[in-house]
Parts: sequence; structure tokens; C-alpha cells
Amino acid sequence: MTGADQQASLEGVLKDEILRMYQEVADNPDAEFHFFHGREAAEMFGYDPEWLDRAPAGAVDSFAGVGNPHERAELKPGETVLDLGSGAGLDAIIASWRVGPEGRVMGVDLNPSMCHKAQANLAATGVSMECHEGRMEDIPLPDASADVVISNGVVNLSFRKRRVTEEMFRVLEPGGRISITDIVSGRELSQSIVNDPKLWAA
Amino acid sequence: MFELLEDAGFTDVRTAVVPGFQFRMESTRNAAEAYGVKAMMITATKPAEG
Repeated sequence: MTGADQQASLEGVLKDEILRMYQEVADNPDAEFHFFHGREAAEMFGYDPEWLDRAPAGAVDSFAGVGNPHERAELKPGETVLDLGSGAGLDAIIASWRVGPEGRVMGVDLNPSMCHKAQANLAATGVSMECHEGRMEDIPLPDASADVVISNGVVNLSFRKRRVTEEMFRVLEPGGRISITDIVSGRELSQSIVNDPKLWAA
Repeated sequence: MFELLEDAGFTDVRTAVVPGFQFRMESTRNAAEAYGVKAMMITATKPAEG
């Protein structure tokens, strides 16, 4: 097996583990995970409690972000926002409130059932989102289709982060911006971590 | 990540540590500390044309 074959195989296993783990957060939000999640995590990262009271419990309880991308996104009414890795939709809901009825929010998620869940959660608050099943390494949107890309704890899950940054650049309008929160490592991870999908997905 | 964003063409790349981030489980927290793992806020701009 070549190095490329090995990476493709590992990426396939990782994709399955990511789907499994984040589906479990959505289906079983009372369980314990490696990371904080739900309202406890959102409050830890400074989400406005008013937002969390107003959003559907299904979106808040399944929140699995690592920070608050809204803090620096400076979303304005009328803007088009892409939430990369939209999950159960809490960040997309908040983005919808901020861009208002003249704005537009799109989501991309690896898991089609999370797209359905996010759309249901947005609909429950009277807003809507187009959600596209797809990978962040091949964002299923045309060039220059968003003013802002937000993302929360997702880019770190990719083996091909260079490709992800290129894709974010491609789908942004000239003059557009990103506001993401994510996990970074100060040291190269050991091969035992790289080769363990459960640890990588955590 | 900073370099990847600049390589992709982004400008005005800014980063800040997410205050208060930590993993829930002690074993993961200890491993994260050993590897200098942090949560970061990252903003960047795609230059306007012309």
C-alpha cells in the first residue's frame, strides 16, 4: 500500500469516526465526551445567555464548538454567511439573527442527518438555512458565494487543512472574511495520535 | 494554521487564544497540555479585487 493509499484509508476511517462521534453528541447530549458540549460549553465561551434561551434546546444541547466565532465575525444585516461544519445549527441560528431577513445563511456538514436537524432547529426559530452535505476539503458551493465563513471546531478534524483553507478562500467573495474558532497544536502530534481516529476526532 | 491561511491568499490574519477552553476528561486534558493544544480564534480577510 502506498503512502497515499494509507492516507486515504485513514481518512475514510476518520470520516466514519467523526460521523459517529458527532451523531452521538446530537442523539445523546447527556453523555460525557472528551470535550465540553451543550449549554455548559457555550456559556464557557461567552455565548449570550439570551441567545441560548431563545434557540431551540436541540441546537443548544448538541453544541460541540471550541469557542465563539461570533465574537469577531462582526456580521452585518444583509450578509451571506457560510457555516462550515454546521452541526445541529446553533451558530447558523445566531448568524441568521444577525444578518436578518435580507441576509442568507448556508451550512455545510459531512452528515446529512445533521443538515436535517439543523434545518429543523432553524425553522423552529422562524429562520432558514440551505444546508449542503459535503466535505470541507471540497465545499459544494460555487466560487465567491459567501461574504463570511464561520466555523467552530471543525478544521482541526481534517487531514488536509491546506486544502480546507484554499476552499474557504475560493468560496468567499473578494473582500470577504473568515471568523473561525479551532484547535491548534503547538507540537507535531505523535504517530499514535494521528493513527487513532478516536483521539483525532476528539 | 496562520501560514496555511496566508499561503491560501488571506491577509490580515489575526489569532487569539480562546479563554477558558479545556477538555473535559483529565486524560485528554493532560495529553493536550503536553502537546501545547489550544483553542484559537482566527480571523482573516480575502483581499478585494483591483
